[in-house]
Amino acid sequence: MKKNEKMVLIIGIVVILALALTGCGQTSMATKEEYPTKPLSMVIAFSAGGSSDIQARIMQKYWNKYVPEQPWVFNYKVGAGGAIGFAEIAKAQPDGYTLGGLNVPHMILQPMAQGAQFSIDDFEYISQVVTDPQVLAVQKDSPFKTWKEVIDYAKANPNKLKVGIVGTFSGHHMMLLDLQDKTGIEVTQVVYKGAADQNAALLGQEIDLMIGNVNDVMRSMENMNILGIAAEKRNDFLPDVPTLKETGLDLVSDIRRGFAVPKGTDPEKVRFLRDAFKKIQEDPDYLADMKKAGQPTDNMSGEEFDKYVHEQQEYNKNLLTKFNLIK
Amino acid sequence: MLEHILTGFTNSMMPFNFLLIIVGLTGGIVIGALPGLTATMGVALMVPITFAMNPISGLVMLGAIYSGAIYGGSNSAILINTPGTPSSVATTFDGWPMTQKGDAEGALNASLLASAFGGVIGTLFLLFLAAPMAQLALKFGAPEFFWLCIFGLSTIASMSQGNVVKGLISGALGMLVSTIGLDPLEGLPRFTFGSYSLVQGIEVIPAMIGLFSFSQVITLVGSKNKFIAEYKGKRGATLRVAKKLWKDAKANLLRSSIIGSFVGILPGAGGEIASIISYNEAKRWDKNKANFGKGIIEGVAASESANNATIGGSLIPMLTLGIPGSAVAAVIMGALLAHGIQPGFKIFTNNAELAYTFIVSLIVVNIVMVFVGAFLIKGTARVLNVPTSYIGVAIVSLSIIGSYAIRNSMIDVMVMIFFGLVGYFGGKIGFDTGAMALGIILGPIVEDNLSRSISIAGAEGSVLKVFFTHPIALLLIILTIVSVMTPMFLTKHRSKKEAVVNDEA
Repeated sequence: MKKNEKMVLIIGIVVILALALTGCGQTSMATKEEYPTKPLSMVIAFSAGGSSDIQARIMQKYWNKYVPEQPWVFNYKVGAGGAIGFAEIAKAQPDGYTLGGLNVPHMILQPMAQGAQFSIDDFEYISQVVTDPQVLAVQKDSPFKTWKEVIDYAKANPNKLKVGIVGTFSGHHMMLLDLQDKTGIEVTQVVYKGAADQNAALLGQEIDLMIGNVNDVMRSMENMNILGIAAEKRNDFLPDVPTLKETGLDLVSDIRRGFAVPKGTDPEKVRFLRDAFKKIQEDPDYLADMKKAGQPTDNMSGEEFDKYVHEQQEYNKNLLTKFNLIK
Repeated sequence: MLEHILTGFTNSMMPFNFLLIIVGLTGGIVIGALPGLTATMGVALMVPITFAMNPISGLVMLGAIYSGAIYGGSNSAILINTPGTPSSVATTFDGWPMTQKGDAEGALNASLLASAFGGVIGTLFLLFLAAPMAQLALKFGAPEFFWLCIFGLSTIASMSQGNVVKGLISGALGMLVSTIGLDPLEGLPRFTFGSYSLVQGIEVIPAMIGLFSFSQVITLVGSKNKFIAEYKGKRGATLRVAKKLWKDAKANLLRSSIIGSFVGILPGAGGEIASIISYNEAKRWDKNKANFGKGIIEGVAASESANNATIGGSLIPMLTLGIPGSAVAAVIMGALLAHGIQPGFKIFTNNAELAYTFIVSLIVVNIVMVFVGAFLIKGTARVLNVPTSYIGVAIVSLSIIGSYAIRNSMIDVMVMIFFGLVGYFGGKIGFDTGAMALGIILGPIVEDNLSRSISIAGAEGSVLKVFFTHPIALLLIILTIVSVMTPMFLTKHRSKKEAVVNDEA
C-alpha cells in the first residue's frame, strides 16, 4: 500500500510539473511582445577575469541600468581560442535568451582553417564594443628605431628576423602575413601561447620584434619601444605612437569584440537588444569605466559590425590562400 | 624601504584587512581542497567584489585566497589521494601513504607548516630580490623551458624505482595524450578522430581527477574496509610535526622553498612543476631515499613548501614588468589594472603603500594560515571517520562537478571517467598514475618550447647552438643527467652492498 501511495505522489508531481510547463509555454506565446521575461544567458568564450569577461561585466552594470527587468547570467564556455563558446552561441535556441561575445578575427579564422563548427552567417550581430589594434614592438635597447629599419634588416637577411606572435590563425598571425605580403620580407615566425610569455621573450631578447595588442603592451611601456600602430588613426592609450599608415605602410590590423545572438532570432528582439546596447555604449559613465579598465572602446552598430565581419572574411581568405595555408 | 614595510604591516593588521585575510584564507582553503575548483577560479570569482573595496584591501584579500587555495589542494591530496589543484600532485606521493598508515594528522600538519614556510620564503624573495629575479626570468627562453621540463620528467626515473620501464611507458603515454588537440606551431588539429570536441585538447584537471580520485573510488568500492583509513584525533599534532620538521627537514624546506620561488617567476611554469622538482631533490639529498613514497613527512614538506613559494615568485614579474608569472597572478594584475594601477618598477615608488602592503600582507597571511589551517584540519580530517560508502558517493559527485566546472563541458566529465578507468585497470598491471600525470602536465610545455626552440634555431642557423650553449640550459642538462643516473647508480651500489652482506654471511 505504501508503495502505491508513493507512486501516486510521484505521478501527481509529474502531472503538475507537466501542466506547469505547458501552461508557461502558452502564456509566453499569448503575450508575444513581452521581452525579456526571464534572465538572459551571456556566453563568454574566454575565462572569467580575462579582458573579454571584464568588458562584458562593465557592460552588465549598464544593462541593469537600462533593462532593469532581467539580468544576465554569465556562462563561460572556454576552449580552442574561443571557438567552443562561439559555437555555443551559434547553436543556441534563437529565442533571444542566449547572447554572447564574439572576437574578430578569431571567429572568422576558426571555421576557415581549423574546422570549427559554425560560420559567420550563424549570427545576428548586436553591436561592436572594442577595437584593440595591433602594434609592432621592440625591446627598449633594440637597434631598430623605426619599422623601416626592421624591414631593411629583414630584406638584407631573409629568415633571420625573429618575430613573436600569439597563436596561429590569430589576428597576430594575419598581421604578420600581411606585413610579409606588403613588404616582401621573409621572417622566422615564433609562436607563443599567450601575451605574458611573448612579452617576456621580447624583453629577454629571444625575439627581435613582436606583434602585440595595445591592451597588452601598454603596461610594459618602460621596457619596450612601439614602432607603429596598425590602425586608421592614433590610439588614445598610445598617443605618441605613429600609425603605420602615416609613415607609409598601408596596414590596418586589430582584434575586435562584439555581441551577437543566434541566427533566426525574432527581428523585434534583435532590434530591442541593438537599441539597449546602443544606449549602454553611449552612456558617459560606461565610457569612463571602459577607459579606466584599459578597454579601447570602438562602437559600431550591429549592421555595421555584420558588414565588417563579412569584409574581413574576404580579406583573410585572400591572405591565407596567398600563403597556401588554406585550399 | 623599512618605513614602507612598517606601513605595510600596520595596514595588514587593520581590523578590516585582517578580517579579509581570515575570510580569504578560509575560502581559499575550501576552494583549493575541492578537486576541480582551482586557485585561478577562486581568485577570479572574487575580483568583482574587490571593486567595491579600496585597492589595498582588495589585493590583501586576493593574496589570502591565492595562498589558501594553493595550500588547500594538499588536504584532499592527503585525505583521499586526490590533488585539489595540479600543484599538489607530488603531495599525494607521501601524503596518501601517511593517511593509510593512520597518520593523516601528521601529513596535514606537515603540509600546513611547510606551506606557510614556503609562502614566507617566496614573499621574502618578492620583497628583497624582485629586481634581479625579474631579470633572471627574462633569461629563461624556450630552450631553458624545454630542459626544465625534461628535468621535471626525469623525476619519473627515480619515482618509479624498481620499475623504471613501466614508469617511462606511463609517462610517455601521458605525453601522447597531451598532444591531442591543436598543435602549437601550425595550429592544426591532431588526434581528434574527426570529433571537434577534442580540438580543445585534454584538460589536465579532469584527467588528473580521473587518474587519482575516480580510480580511487573504484578501489574503495572493491575494498572491504569500512573506513578509508584509521584516524584518531590527537591533541598537539601541530607541535609534534613542527618539532620533527625543525629537526629533520630544515634544509629540505629551505631548498624546496627556493626552488619554488625560482620556478614561480617563470611565466608558464608554476606550482605543479616546482613541487615535483622539489620532491625529487628532497629525495636525492636525503639519507634514507628508500623511505620516500612510503609515507614520510619530508615528502609532503618538500612538495607543499615549494608550491606555496611559487606565489611570491609569480608576483615578481607581474609587479615589476607587467608580465604575470602564473594564471592567478594574471587575474590579480587584471584587478590592479581595473583599479587604474599600472604594474612596473615604478609601482614601488608611485604606489609604494599599495605595493608594500600587498607584499607584507602575504607574510601576515602565511602566519595566520597556520592558525586558520590548524583549526580547519580538525574538521577536514574527520572525513576519514565517514564510512567509505558515503565518501565514495561524495568523491564521485565532487569529481563530476569539478571536471564540469573547468569549462562547463560534459566532454571533461567523460575525460575524467575515461582516465578513472585507465588509472584503475592500469594500476592493476603496474601502470604508474603519477608518471602519467607528469606526462600530461609537462607534455604540452615540452612540445610548445621544443617547437619554439626549433623555429628560433632556424633563424640562428644552428640547432646545437640554441639547445646546448645557453648557460642555464647547460646547467639543467647536467642536473637531468645526474637525476637519471642517480637511481641507476644506487641500484648498483645497493646490490653490491647486499652482495657484501651475503659474502659476510
